[in-house]
Amino acid sequence: MSELGRLALLLGFACSVFAVGSIAWGLRTGLSGPLRSGRRAVWAVCGLALLAVILLERALLARDMSYRYVAEHTSKDLPLHYAFTSLWAGQEGSLLLWLLILSAYGSAFLFAYRKRLDPFYDAVAMVVASVMIFFTGLLSFVCSPFRILATPPADGMGLNPLLQDPGMMIHPPILYTGYVGFIIPFGFAIAVLLLNRSGTRWIEEVRRWTLFCWGFLGVGILLGARWAYIELGWGGYWGWDPVENASLMPWLVGTGFLHSVMIEQRRGMLKTWNIVLIVLTFELSIFGTFLTRSGVLTSVHSFAESNIGPWFLGFILLSATIATALILYRKALLESENRMDAIVSREGSFLFNNVLFVALTFATFLGTTFPVLSEAVTGTKISVSAPFFNRVNVPIALALLLLTGAGPVLSWKRATASVLQRNFILPLFMGTLATLIALPFGATGVYPLVCIFAAAFVTTTIVMEFARGIQARKGLEAGALPAQVTQLVRKNKRRYGGYIVHAGMVILFVGVLGSSVFQKEAHAPLKTGDVLRVGPYTLTMRGVTERQKENAVYTTAILDVKHGNRFIATEHPSKALYTKSQQPMTEVALHTTPAEDLYMILGGVNEDGSASIQAYINPLVSFVWVGGLVMVFGTLIAVSDKMRLRREEKEAP
Amino acid sequence: MSRLAIRMAWLIAVSLAAAPASAKPRDPVHEITSQIICPCSCGEVLSGCTCETGKSMQATVENGIRAGKNKKAIVDGLVAQYGEVIRGAPKAQGFNLIVWIAPFAATLAGFAIAFFVLRRWVRRRAALTGVSRGAPSDRTIPFPTGRALESELDALRQRAEEEVRELKQKR
Repeated sequence: MSELGRLALLLGFACSVFAVGSIAWGLRTGLSGPLRSGRRAVWAVCGLALLAVILLERALLARDMSYRYVAEHTSKDLPLHYAFTSLWAGQEGSLLLWLLILSAYGSAFLFAYRKRLDPFYDAVAMVVASVMIFFTGLLSFVCSPFRILATPPADGMGLNPLLQDPGMMIHPPILYTGYVGFIIPFGFAIAVLLLNRSGTRWIEEVRRWTLFCWGFLGVGILLGARWAYIELGWGGYWGWDPVENASLMPWLVGTGFLHSVMIEQRRGMLKTWNIVLIVLTFELSIFGTFLTRSGVLTSVHSFAESNIGPWFLGFILLSATIATALILYRKALLESENRMDAIVSREGSFLFNNVLFVALTFATFLGTTFPVLSEAVTGTKISVSAPFFNRVNVPIALALLLLTGAGPVLSWKRATASVLQRNFILPLFMGTLATLIALPFGATGVYPLVCIFAAAFVTTTIVMEFARGIQARKGLEAGALPAQVTQLVRKNKRRYGGYIVHAGMVILFVGVLGSSVFQKEAHAPLKTGDVLRVGPYTLTMRGVTERQKENAVYTTAILDVKHGNRFIATEHPSKALYTKSQQPMTEVALHTTPAEDLYMILGGVNEDGSASIQAYINPLVSFVWVGGLVMVFGTLIAVSDKMRLRREEKEAP
Repeated sequence: MSRLAIRMAWLIAVSLAAAPASAKPRDPVHEITSQIICPCSCGEVLSGCTCETGKSMQATVENGIRAGKNKKAIVDGLVAQYGEVIRGAPKAQGFNLIVWIAPFAATLAGFAIAFFVLRRWVRRRAALTGVSRGAPSDRTIPFPTGRALESELDALRQRAEEEVRELKQKR
């Protein structure tokens, strides 16, 4: 079976090469035959990648230890569902999943535009196929998941306990769907440059694809944060870990693009800039995979040992060089009549917003990669972690939040003094009011106060925008307020979907503010009957138990939790010791209310029989998840805009 | 210009680096442990670390504070033992100054570029329409503003919907 897997990947490589060659030939000669063949080859790669995935899954589920990948990432006592998800536990499997999603995007793209005769779409497919060459090549010749061991071990090394979590079952595929999806906007951008196409039609199409994968990447990031919160047991959900940063960077640039693309659509401006943002988003999504998979961040030395790091770096350099060369070569195509009526306008605010998004990405990029750079230059190992990012990225992010409120209430072209007065006085007043109200509650730092001001400011502008929309449609829609809001959103899904995303962002920021600034913590070794107090909560230790469950031994503390004098629950923070790897894992106990989370960790059992308990009160954490969900909801509304148009097109005679 | 931008970035970087994210007083142990990274493979910030190395380092910090040592002495002691790698944010000196200054310098430079580009575009537009710079807004050519355009669109939508309704009634 392993031979079949290897053959599938080799054929996939051949089909990818064929697809690129055939489409290139078709584009050059204008013949439809080669274009058709090329399209079919892209479909074939998808089928072959699926076959390879099925074969590897079969080996994983059967725990066929003759496969090196299976032996390295599973064990016989591993529950079946985790054996299934161990496909993306290691480098080779992850790359195979990448290939599957990539080829699925290629096929979905071809299916979506199957009725278009324009060879432009073939050119996009050719770009997708070029990236497929890289991944099929890597999987065939550099790191095959179908390598066979000469002497299979009796049992495997087991799955990393960190990955044995329900969140990890869906987080990577969703994140990858986001990451990989940026190939389509990239394909569009390269195809436009290759074929020297003018016009803005592609911009609308690319916006929807970008919105789709941007949404998935956002959900992936959110799931990752939730996983870190529950599984890593350090009391937080975002640690500015390189892997987290890697996923954030393309999301940030993608967000910048989703804003600046509106200027191109409306005013035909910023053509070059938008293409640069698309290319950057794609390169950063590849870079993210490179960061997570090459080992470069551990040390410069481990990068040299990694067998795929140099390949990835080469691919990034090559694709970025080609894209840059094309942008320079097609300079004339990208020239636009850049004229503005005023700096203080929606366009102006979008440009400044883009600067902040790119600056935030740059700060994240620099901070993430700086330890390697510093070690190479100074020879000393340093860390650039959460304490750095909290100081550098937070102010830039807060400036962005402020602009989130200002941008939408500035008129396109020119915001006159009267518009500024009409649109800004109330939000500024509400922002100031909220800041003053927050002061007695202990919010005294610079950042918390700016965040509270910005949150109230943005919320007011959003509410004002909705109110104005309803006012403008007065007489058209009767009924209660919710019905009017629904009608308003349905009439302009892009615009109001965007506002809902902004509202979600505000909720998320409030959650981040609450949980980081107002977090309370207490820790102590507790014996049976001992008490630990944190805020209004009292935790009474009732004892410690130990039991074997599936592939780990769980040591569990039993804690009675009271809020004031009221008993609320018995909680069970645990420590799992995985039998195979002997790796300890923290199983957090969480008592969630809309206002705050009581987060309990068992640090371990001491020699005197006491258990080390660490308890946090994380206020407003639920706002982070709710804010994220609201953002997803807004994205869905914005994406559905074109779907409605399409349906109407079909219904039209 | 660029020198000014770098100086401003340096000022912002230094003041932000000095500014606490929250002025809410935390306990001194947390002030130290939230800035230190556990040197073992877990890589966690010390305040949330539950591994053995982390716990022993937390104990060192707690004992130091109890003994009345100042924060700098405690951190320097830990750095001497485990290396610079345990600082969550590198010291703003020497080569590492780059990582502190560059983000703010880039942001300021970005803003400056955006401002000058926008100003050039506005001038180009003004030259084309014959409107002199600094002319009062009511004397510019009346391009519909975003809001005017929206209300026009809404009026048009309303008219279209009424016409459709009428047509349906006639049928």
